[in-house]
Amino acid sequence: MSARDNILQRVRDAVRAPAPRPPAPAANSIWPPLGEAEARFREEFTALKGEIIESLPEFLAVFEKIATDGSELAGKGNATAREADLGVTACECLVAQTGSVVVTCRNAEERALSALPPVHLVVAHREQIVPDLNAALALLRTRYGGDFPKMVSVISGPSRTADIEKVLVMGAHGPKRLAVHFVRS
Amino acid sequence: MRVALFIPCFVDQFYPEVGKAMVSVLRRLGIECVFPEEQTCCGQPAFNTGYWDEARALARRYCEIFNGYDAVVSPSGSCTAMVRNFYPELLGSSPPASVNTFEFSEFLVKKLGITDVGATFPAKVTYHDSCHTLRELRLKQEPRALLRAVRGLELVEMTEAETCCGFGGTFSVKFPAISTAMDDVKCQSIVATGAQYVVSVDSSCLMQIGGWLRRKNLPVQTKHLAEVLAQT
Amino acid sequence: MNPNACRFQRAARAKAFDLRHRAIVAKNIATYHAAVARGLARFADWESARRRAAAIKWEVMNHLDRYLEEFERNVLARGGHVHWAETAAEASQQVVALAKQHGVRRAVKSKSMVTEEIHLNSALEAAGITVLETDLGEYICQLRGEPPYHIVTPVMHLNREQIAATFHEKFGTPLDATAEQLAGSAREQLRAEFLRADMGITGANFAVADTGMIGLCTNEGNGRLTTALPRLHVAIVGIEKLVPRLEDLALFWPLLATRGTGQFLTVYNTLIGGSENLHVILLDNGRTRLLADAEQRNALHCIRCGACLNVCPVYRTVGGHSYGTTYQGPLGSMITPHLRGWRDWSHLPYASSLCGKCADVCPVRIPIHHHLLHNRRNVIQRRLDSPIQRLAFRAWLWAVRSPRRYALGGRLARWAMRIGIAAPFAKAWTDHRELPPAPRETFRDWWRTNP
Repeated sequence: MSARDNILQRVRDAVRAPAPRPPAPAANSIWPPLGEAEARFREEFTALKGEIIESLPEFLAVFEKIATDGSELAGKGNATAREADLGVTACECLVAQTGSVVVTCRNAEERALSALPPVHLVVAHREQIVPDLNAALALLRTRYGGDFPKMVSVISGPSRTADIEKVLVMGAHGPKRLAVHFVRS
Repeated sequence: MRVALFIPCFVDQFYPEVGKAMVSVLRRLGIECVFPEEQTCCGQPAFNTGYWDEARALARRYCEIFNGYDAVVSPSGSCTAMVRNFYPELLGSSPPASVNTFEFSEFLVKKLGITDVGATFPAKVTYHDSCHTLRELRLKQEPRALLRAVRGLELVEMTEAETCCGFGGTFSVKFPAISTAMDDVKCQSIVATGAQYVVSVDSSCLMQIGGWLRRKNLPVQTKHLAEVLAQT
Repeated sequence: MNPNACRFQRAARAKAFDLRHRAIVAKNIATYHAAVARGLARFADWESARRRAAAIKWEVMNHLDRYLEEFERNVLARGGHVHWAETAAEASQQVVALAKQHGVRRAVKSKSMVTEEIHLNSALEAAGITVLETDLGEYICQLRGEPPYHIVTPVMHLNREQIAATFHEKFGTPLDATAEQLAGSAREQLRAEFLRADMGITGANFAVADTGMIGLCTNEGNGRLTTALPRLHVAIVGIEKLVPRLEDLALFWPLLATRGTGQFLTVYNTLIGGSENLHVILLDNGRTRLLADAEQRNALHCIRCGACLNVCPVYRTVGGHSYGTTYQGPLGSMITPHLRGWRDWSHLPYASSLCGKCADVCPVRIPIHHHLLHNRRNVIQRRLDSPIQRLAFRAWLWAVRSPRRYALGGRLARWAMRIGIAAPFAKAWTDHRELPPAPRETFRDWWRTNP
């Protein structure tokens, strides 16, 4: 009898007697109304210390080594994620309610792109803004069905830590800066 | 309405003034009440220590003694919580005596709809939310409403009003270091309000808080809510 | 008293009036409370959110076999590997075996309480594998050779000076380094480690059954780098970590973040799956015992947010190290006797005043303090109480069943108090606090003359 068999058998035996069911939750909405999606996204995103970049060339000009995910929006890079000062990626969507960007990747190199370089830039269309997490996860479900990317990351601002006396420090292990640029459609 | 008095063993033996005060307020309001003399203890000490068989025996006894009253009123949130919230689990049913037991402030405000009992107590007072009263009986505004209606009374809130005083029954003597540290935090919060009195609906909490206030010679006195409301 | 109980009492006594510890913890917890208040304001109906989460967790836990099989199926279908470990030792051995199999010399670890539970670091080190903690708080603990103080904020008990002193000792950074400088130093040190590690070890905040994904929530991004850079990823997952669907995370992510730190979402909510380099180890280690206890099964609903620790007045007084367990505070007192044995941990359910604040804040509505009561009953049913105490309660019951015996007992007690006999029972009180004066007349004496 393998560990798997033993554990599953113990689980089956354990749950034969059901625990009392908790009271059924009400159907009302957990969340307050959203407001206009793009305005809400901008508000939440900047509150998390994300930066909205209006002029892309100006922004890119200060970076020497740029790594990208090779997508149309992210363009061509000149460095690997390990060497880069800036990582540029597209995104699956942006979440208004939480000020998040949803980034996925299909391979190992791409995984590090939105996490390793000190600055992460997301290039997106305004149409990619969705209202809330429910919508974001539904979008992923619809888009990918049974074959999800190896990594999905819902990113809400630059990396940070408050482990030292609860003092907020930006830029822990992930990027110190997170920026979004909306291309003109 | 047939009203019975449930005077917890603790109050009966060590804080009889609290029981007397509650009776005087009820009489002032014209409420006739009886005191079934066979009552002793609700069983909470045994229950909290894990002796549920012993507690169950006392629970059955309580439900027999207090069966048939429209309301059983008690000057203790802790014992009321025991009877109302924990007896059903102990007994596997909700006997009328359990359902109809009320803490004193709860009885006045929620059952009788009264917040002004005609009391006068000119003093600066802060209120301590005892854990059972706050979290088991869900009473927070009721004692405060009664205090605010007292003539001359100034009610101030302490920052740690809802924080446990550290009594917890036998916890206070099984883990005395922790219990007294919690007591210290509580008392510092009380003293910081500048109040002359700290008021609660639980004499057990007041014994814990008072015990530290007296040991440290701090300038605050303890008073049960019933004792304040009895003042005219 | 069992040895753990003695240790706990000693540690509690040492910490109870350590006013520096009290001040540091109080300050950190006040910051936490302010953040959580802001976080709660983002919900239109926090109570509904809790109820929904409780219902989802009930569904998982009461059909756990089905969800475990579904999870395994989906991990395997996408090329990942699933191992099952009945005990802590088995799980550690599996990680070591995987490391050896894949020629692993260095490993990096994202914060994971379950890896503390199985003592993974010492097992790997014994096998000659270097393990580095990457969460800043855990890294600081590792540098200091201390266990984590808190399941979410590992160094809540330290102030900046103490951390700077540690860094100064290890890396020569200045003693007056700011929090930013210290974090920057850690970033530099650990970046090199991320880049050269062969294996990344994580736990899982959530394991999604219908997509076979491991969910990791971090603020620092160490979870991202731990799983992105090394060629092997091992995730140790307690069997209770499952959620049924991907969509459930739209509820659980904000619940965890709100009570965990007051944030709406942790910075990185990452879902990992579908890699051949992913090895998931599903861990029992006593969880099936708790699962079999239908009364306390919902203790397994815990999402490890740490809120119960943060609001517990006992935790705040004694600190996380006093418990001597992986899981501290109310959570630890609730589950440890089930997971690690009643004989050795029977004191923990009693180390509580049952204030109930833990249950109030629990995002999945576990009645934690009621389970502490259940645990106390369990201790008595297992006859782990002292014979003296058992006898005392029998005698007490005999006395209070009769109004006459009760009245006599009361009269004796008051007389003893008045003449100052210090019974051992009273000493535990009178060492620290005054006793009230003992009245001559009881309420019932008065009633008889004033009916």
